[in-house]
Amino acid sequence: MPLYMCNAVKGAIDDAAKPKIAEDITRIHCDVTGAPPEFVHAFFVEDSPAQPLDGKSAFLFGNIRAGRTDEQKAQIVSEMRQSIHQHTGIPLDEIKAATTDTPASWVLEGGEIMPEPGEEAEWMAKHKAHKSAGTAA
Amino acid sequence: MICNCIVQEGQIPPETEAALKTGIDEFTQRAFGETAEINWVAIPKNSGFTASKPSTSSIISMRAPQPVEQSRRETLLHELCNIWTTETNCTLDEVVGVISDPENN
Repeated sequence: MPLYMCNAVKGAIDDAAKPKIAEDITRIHCDVTGAPPEFVHAFFVEDSPAQPLDGKSAFLFGNIRAGRTDEQKAQIVSEMRQSIHQHTGIPLDEIKAATTDTPASWVLEGGEIMPEPGEEAEWMAKHKAHKSAGTAA
Repeated sequence: MICNCIVQEGQIPPETEAALKTGIDEFTQRAFGETAEINWVAIPKNSGFTASKPSTSSIISMRAPQPVEQSRRETLLHELCNIWTTETNCTLDEVVGVISDPENN
């Protein structure tokens, strides 16, 4: 977590663009929130009914940990839309993006409940120690 | 109850997928008294990334029918993720489990 799911019209985002957009999504999320890159998942699907395009060409939906400010979320959405536009040529007004909040305490990743925003470094240190010891809390 | 399973295409053989679905259904019946309606989504090859690298991660998420007390949620999340690691031989670093409370809680 975060999980960024990008649904697009078939063929609108080719395989060459996906790693570039994924790299941008990871960098933008980490720059804006301070989260470690290991947390960031960016998945691409096409014509998925689970994530309706509503007439757009692409829809990026980010499920992120709760606790980010409205300004942070607006920056994430703006910069990620720009990345999709830059790497695919899809017009900006054809790209929709949004985020939703999930409490960190609802998520288990790496065998441990996810940290609250701002507590990532401590969590990572603890997680690495658990891995070295061959356990997970 | 709906359970969303997002996996990487080609990573989980059909017989393992069947065992996972059975295991999740048994889990939701045991934990919440409800049958699992599983949405299985395979991310196409070259389309899944974690930390900017090709992903081997699976995400399993479900919304509980009643609010879940946190210590119970943690127990259930460990149980859910252990189903995944046991059946697939993946590591805990490759599994994300989410148990949400009902909406409007």
